[in-house]
Amino acid sequence: MDLGNLQRGYIDYISALFHEGFLDSQFTQLQQLQDESNPEFVLEVATLFFEDSEKLLNELSRTLDQQAVDFKKVDAHVHQLKGSSSSIGAQRVKNVCIAFRDICEETNKEGCLQQVKQEFYLVKSKLETLFRLERQILAAGGSIPIMW
Amino acid sequence: MAALAISSCGRRALLVDDNVINRMVVRKLVEEQGIALEEAENGKEAVELVKEGRVFDLILMDREMPVMDGPQATKQLRSLGVTTPIVALSADAMQSDKDSFLQAGADDFVEKPLSVDKFALVLTKYGLQDGQAADQ
Repeated sequence: MDLGNLQRGYIDYISALFHEGFLDSQFTQLQQLQDESNPEFVLEVATLFFEDSEKLLNELSRTLDQQAVDFKKVDAHVHQLKGSSSSIGAQRVKNVCIAFRDICEETNKEGCLQQVKQEFYLVKSKLETLFRLERQILAAGGSIPIMW
Repeated sequence: MAALAISSCGRRALLVDDNVINRMVVRKLVEEQGIALEEAENGKEAVELVKEGRVFDLILMDREMPVMDGPQATKQLRSLGVTTPIVALSADAMQSDKDSFLQAGADDFVEKPLSVDKFALVLTKYGLQDGQAADQ
């Protein structure tokens, strides 16, 4: 695929991520902070977000699995995930965290866990694709289109 | 008194936040402005840094943290005589939470996540923009 197509594909892909609410303006902030002195800043933050969130989701799952659920612990885990997803611009993850208790009441504790996991793994997969597209553009000798 | 890293204009900030991703993002934001940053994972660590003699031009304080939260830490810092601007950072805080934080002695309240623009406003408000004179 030629460079022009790769770059157009990137623009379409990232535009869709914003349009569909996976990412919000905070992600753009991170992109703006990335520069020659720190050319992989967004990737580094995202990687830490993925690792940290997986740990949090495992802890959340363990906490919810107890006979007598410690909801203070649940709230603490969800609060952390809400904070980090907000910092990276992962809007849908943030929103499901905000609504977590309500979702638990509407469905059950398994249902709310599944929703937050689903949103996390979705955005993780989409960001991984985005970073792959960036690598392809760079490997083809081009530069990543600037979206702001 | 412990010396901090030298940066342009010698501005020093303290970030108090228990979330590792939040700290990574704010760290980049702050360092982009040429400001030396120290970090504490909770309010107790922040208070201990000050008791050790650290002096800052700005303190960014998260609200909810384990061990000691933002309002508690703010109260303790003020009772220690700290006059440094303390900017409370929080997301989706209710008005009562904001009020209690301000009553504890915070100067300002900024909605998370902290962005380049929001931080620039904070720096301007407290005379910490690059080029503005700051007491050292």
